[in-house]
Amino acid sequence: MTVETRDLTKYYWMGKEKVVALDGVDLKMEEGAFISVVGPSGSGKSTLLNVIGCLDAPTKGEVYLAGWRVDYRNKQSLVRLRRKFVGFVFQTFNLIPALNAVENVEYPMYFNKAGRSKSERRESAMKLLELVRLEKRANHLPSELSGGELQRIAVARALANDPKLILADEPTGNLDSQTGKSILNLLKRLNEEEGKNIIMVTHDLESAKKMGKVIRILDGRIQ
Amino acid sequence: MKELFSLASRQLGRKKLRVFLIVLGIAIGIAAVIGVTSLGEGIRVQAVEQIKAQHDLTTIDVSAGVEAGSVTLITDSKLRAIEKEEHVLFVASYVKDMYVTQNKTAFWLKGNTPEYRQIHRNLQLERGNWFDEEKESNEIVLGYDVAKRLAAIEDLGIGDEFVAKIRLYDEDSRPMDKTRDKTAVFKIVGILKSTGGEHDDEALVEIATAREMDEKDAYDGAFVKVDDPAFAASVGDKIEGLGLSARSAQDVIDEVNKLMVAVTIVFGVFSGFSLVVGALMVVNTMIISVYERTKEIGLSKALGASDFDIMKMFLAECVIIGVIGGILGDLLGIGFSMLIDLVGKPFLVSALGGELGAGLQTGSITVVTPEILAAGFAISLVLSIVSGLYPARRAARLNPLDALRQI
Repeated sequence: MTVETRDLTKYYWMGKEKVVALDGVDLKMEEGAFISVVGPSGSGKSTLLNVIGCLDAPTKGEVYLAGWRVDYRNKQSLVRLRRKFVGFVFQTFNLIPALNAVENVEYPMYFNKAGRSKSERRESAMKLLELVRLEKRANHLPSELSGGELQRIAVARALANDPKLILADEPTGNLDSQTGKSILNLLKRLNEEEGKNIIMVTHDLESAKKMGKVIRILDGRIQ
Repeated sequence: MKELFSLASRQLGRKKLRVFLIVLGIAIGIAAVIGVTSLGEGIRVQAVEQIKAQHDLTTIDVSAGVEAGSVTLITDSKLRAIEKEEHVLFVASYVKDMYVTQNKTAFWLKGNTPEYRQIHRNLQLERGNWFDEEKESNEIVLGYDVAKRLAAIEDLGIGDEFVAKIRLYDEDSRPMDKTRDKTAVFKIVGILKSTGGEHDDEALVEIATAREMDEKDAYDGAFVKVDDPAFAASVGDKIEGLGLSARSAQDVIDEVNKLMVAVTIVFGVFSGFSLVVGALMVVNTMIISVYERTKEIGLSKALGASDFDIMKMFLAECVIIGVIGGILGDLLGIGFSMLIDLVGKPFLVSALGGELGAGLQTGSITVVTPEILAAGFAISLVLSIVSGLYPARRAARLNPLDALRQI
């Protein structure tokens, strides 16, 4: 699995002002890499993540996932890529309040059943909860859990459809430093032990350096 | 599918009061429709029952056929053809003419065959005897009103004889008493009890006597008795095939049915307008729900949900609302129709009065059929789904990134 971007460019308009979010980004990610993207607010790092994650379309340029060029005009193929190749972790956890921990982990599998029965899906969701060491919280609703626990469930959810690529957008941004560290350790473990490719956007340069390769972005360009 | 609905019910379970209010809104609309249609259906059933009680469904009333200006008369050969039809027990033919006494008292006179009284079993003598139908005679039985008139004006009673002749009418419907001079002498032998119907104004006489007087080649009418009400329609069609006109109580019932079904549909449609309110509530609530859950929708899309997946989720919630609304609406509708029966019946009975009101007293004026309940349920379901289409589509088409950014 490699991620490659070629001349990736993204503008958008804020009223009459043209905002350049990405300005010709060329990125190559080797198999098994952990890339941290750092940069100030508005530098375009989140946009890069969203374009790679097929949530946003570039104005210009190309993205290759596992060697396949992403066709941003084909909505169905974007849905399939999001289902099978990408797992998201968000700064604000974004768990579904109506569902308990294990159901939240199971939720993406519902859109990508891949022949798995309901009980098989529940079983793999439980295994993912064990992986993030929250199996005891399986039946708790998000409102009953702490921030660190929520983010670990969110990480387990990102793994639900066994994606090759995990995109984490400031996963520690809403956590205290101690809890944040445990999430980073979890991601590192997934990268090293489970072989997940990870791209993480962060403010925290010190932590980023410990994870692997660091890319700095400023005004939509890689420095 | 099961998972879809379990998820949808979980989502609805988070806002029970809101769901309860929409469901109630729909259910009240459905109940109104059910109540009104059950009233229409109840009155229809009552009307049909009354017709059945008052008419013999095995009797077909045959008269001369008029089609495109040509008249087909009831001749002996036609009667023989009818008698040969399957399921026909007998045919009672009659002639009917307006007679006038020497003192210009007019009355209808029917000459009938022995079978006639087997058709009209409600004919009972108040006084006197029947004439012998088997042989030609001048004996006459007077209808209740005719007897009263003749007694009052001409001082005639049982045992008296009187002279009468046929009264014909000119083109302007003016009597032409002078055209025929042939007279007959009738002897009054019996007087009928009042029937409340046509027989009160008629006098009955043996048919041969009457035919001799009117000198017509054809009969003025005939009653055909069939062995089973189920065959009345088919025999009636065959009689019509002979060019004659045939009517049975079933025709009246058919007309009442047609009228009441049309009235009920119109009532149902208008009471159904209250459902528009329910539908708008669903639209409104689902749009609010889409706004509230915008972020969740964006998240679901990021996690791999397609537009169709999102649409299905919202529609599943609408299906649940529709199902609950339908069940509750049916239950409320049954209650509503009971209320109409309880409150509305005494009012209807007193308003209609007489025989019609008395007929209503026995039964219920509302009838809730399984069809009405099924229709109520289906309307609720369809209404909820249709109302949810726009909000669901709106949810499905949200841009995932924009949706995720919303807090």
